[in-house]
Amino acid sequence: MADWDRLRQAIIGGDAKTAGAVAHEAIAAGEEALPLIQKYMVPAMDEVGRLYECEEYFVPELLLSARAMKAALDPLRPLLAASGAKPAGKVVIGTVKGDLHDIGKNLVASLLEGGGFEVIDLGADVAPQKFIDAVETTGANIVALSALLTVTMPSIKTTIEALKAAGVRDRVKVMVGGAPVTQQFADQVGADAYSESATSAVTAARRLVAAG
Amino acid sequence: MAEYVGLKPQPGRTLSDQLFQLGLEFPCGGCSSCGGCRVRLIGGEIPITEHMREALSEGELAAGWRLACQADASVPVTLDIEQWSARILTDNARVAFEPAEGYGAVIDLGTTTLVVELVDLATGDIRAVLAGLNPQGRQGSDVMSRIEFDLRSPGVLTGLIRGALGAMLADVAQGRPLREVLLCGNTAMHHLFCGHSVAPLSQVPFSSPLLRNGEFRGEDLGWSAASVSFLPCVGGFVGSDLLAGLVACGMTESEQVVALLDLGTNGEIALGNRDGIVCASTAAGPAFEGGRIRMGMRAGDGAIDRVEAAAGGLRCHVLGGVTARGICGSGLVDAVAAGLHQASVAASGRLAGGLLPLRDGVHLTQSDIRELQLAKGAIAAGLEILRKQLGVEAGSVRTIYLAGAFGNYVRVESARRIGLLPSWEAPVVPAGNSAVRGARLLLLNASRRNQLIGRVLRLARHVELAGDPEFQETFIEKMRFG
Repeated sequence: MADWDRLRQAIIGGDAKTAGAVAHEAIAAGEEALPLIQKYMVPAMDEVGRLYECEEYFVPELLLSARAMKAALDPLRPLLAASGAKPAGKVVIGTVKGDLHDIGKNLVASLLEGGGFEVIDLGADVAPQKFIDAVETTGANIVALSALLTVTMPSIKTTIEALKAAGVRDRVKVMVGGAPVTQQFADQVGADAYSESATSAVTAARRLVAAG
Repeated sequence: MAEYVGLKPQPGRTLSDQLFQLGLEFPCGGCSSCGGCRVRLIGGEIPITEHMREALSEGELAAGWRLACQADASVPVTLDIEQWSARILTDNARVAFEPAEGYGAVIDLGTTTLVVELVDLATGDIRAVLAGLNPQGRQGSDVMSRIEFDLRSPGVLTGLIRGALGAMLADVAQGRPLREVLLCGNTAMHHLFCGHSVAPLSQVPFSSPLLRNGEFRGEDLGWSAASVSFLPCVGGFVGSDLLAGLVACGMTESEQVVALLDLGTNGEIALGNRDGIVCASTAAGPAFEGGRIRMGMRAGDGAIDRVEAAAGGLRCHVLGGVTARGICGSGLVDAVAAGLHQASVAASGRLAGGLLPLRDGVHLTQSDIRELQLAKGAIAAGLEILRKQLGVEAGSVRTIYLAGAFGNYVRVESARRIGLLPSWEAPVVPAGNSAVRGARLLLLNASRRNQLIGRVLRLARHVELAGDPEFQETFIEKMRFG
């Protein structure tokens, strides 16, 4: 395998144009998708996560890197599917009913995609029934719920209860997040995971999948 | 010459209660998570609690810092209060009026601050002014935490604010009978004062059916005033403070397109002219009033309020000529503008070395700059979205009025440098407390009042920023410093 470190650098630098171009170049050179992702792209997003955690990067840089990751991932997807590689997991994500804020949720969705998950984004102000339907139709194994306002946090609880009532709660792991959400709240509503930042959401999702 | 306060133990009241009574605010609502209410122990003893250990470092605890919201003492104590002598913006500009008999009053009911003016209806003169802190502050510093509190404990905040304003009114009136009292404030303050359910304000689409209901008889409130009216709200969280501001700056009569930015705790923005107005609110405020900033404080003695780039470092001005104790909103904007100038702050917001030392040990951290990026990004994005919604070019906006205390003290050049204000050609004009001035204008022009209010309500369209498909892109773009 040739050295494709430029791919890693383009993702860290948030350069979507270069990241996409290098991915195409690598495909043309006959590289396989999975090793490219594992050797360059996942480590790039891990580095971006580290830079964010240590405050060197902020939301705009995080978003640019997530976009560069997506630009590189897009041409690789058909190859992945053809080789029979499975996604790390399938996540249904949305901002709960009553809340329109979706910037944080969008970041988590992009980072999860970058982390190899298949993401079904239901948007903002999502009614509990929509989450249930999405789990039923996609066979997702993770439901990720977000709320930005203290007053809409109860909606997370309502959604989890609706998942239970519909009999799909046991089929999925539930992770929760958003500015006012805490570990304590996550425990209270019976979520399986809480993540404090967008970057740690990927780690949390991986842990949930590993735990089965 | 630091100013200290001495307190003795009182039966049935904790030290925290006493400090709150003195006007100390608990920005996070007293849940010990923000450290914004810290006080420094000069004499006596306040036991360190588990919560204090979490919020303060060992060094800070050793230096005598404690959290007021968690404080209790069994011995007399002397304290240095960090958030001291807040500067609250009143207004003494004269307005046109129709002479009438007797006295009236106007009230600016802010999320953080209160202003009460006694007005002579015959001369239009302001006879007395009283400013204070909103006593609801103990239940959280922003509108959402107040709404959440009211949903859990209905009525408490309504009683608190009516009581506090009634006392302030009695104080300014000095026994003179009041014919009429007009109040203005954002939608949450309106609902909490009026006793309306805040449930519609707690979730999408944030629209209440009671935006225009606010009429009382003074006796219903226990006030010595004949009639009391809370001016109508515009929509969403945009309340009658903006409505009054629009009346004061004459936007509804203006041929040219102008902007009004009220950068209080609940930031409100409007753009338009006599043909149409769009307005929005953003929860950007706390950072501009020192909230969520590690060494942030409101503009009072000991606050760094101005910072300039100077040879070999930064030159800082401190309010009250005392030792610097923290930094207020205008100082924060200045400091970051100076940091950008000296390249210690990058356009991405990255702070070289992670610390920006200012003066007397006061400094900014990387997280502080991130908070500012979020706050200024929200305001700048809001204005940009409104510009697009109104469908005007940046060049056709003729004046940008800046209302509110922060807007009055912030240095325009710095605000432009960090991108809080747009690079449009329009001059920026400080508008003082335009809310209280507009309310006074409405009080003093009884025959035109309904017409003036009706005109604003007809022209103004409320925009829910989070619902605009371009908001996210614009917000993220505006987080950067150029």
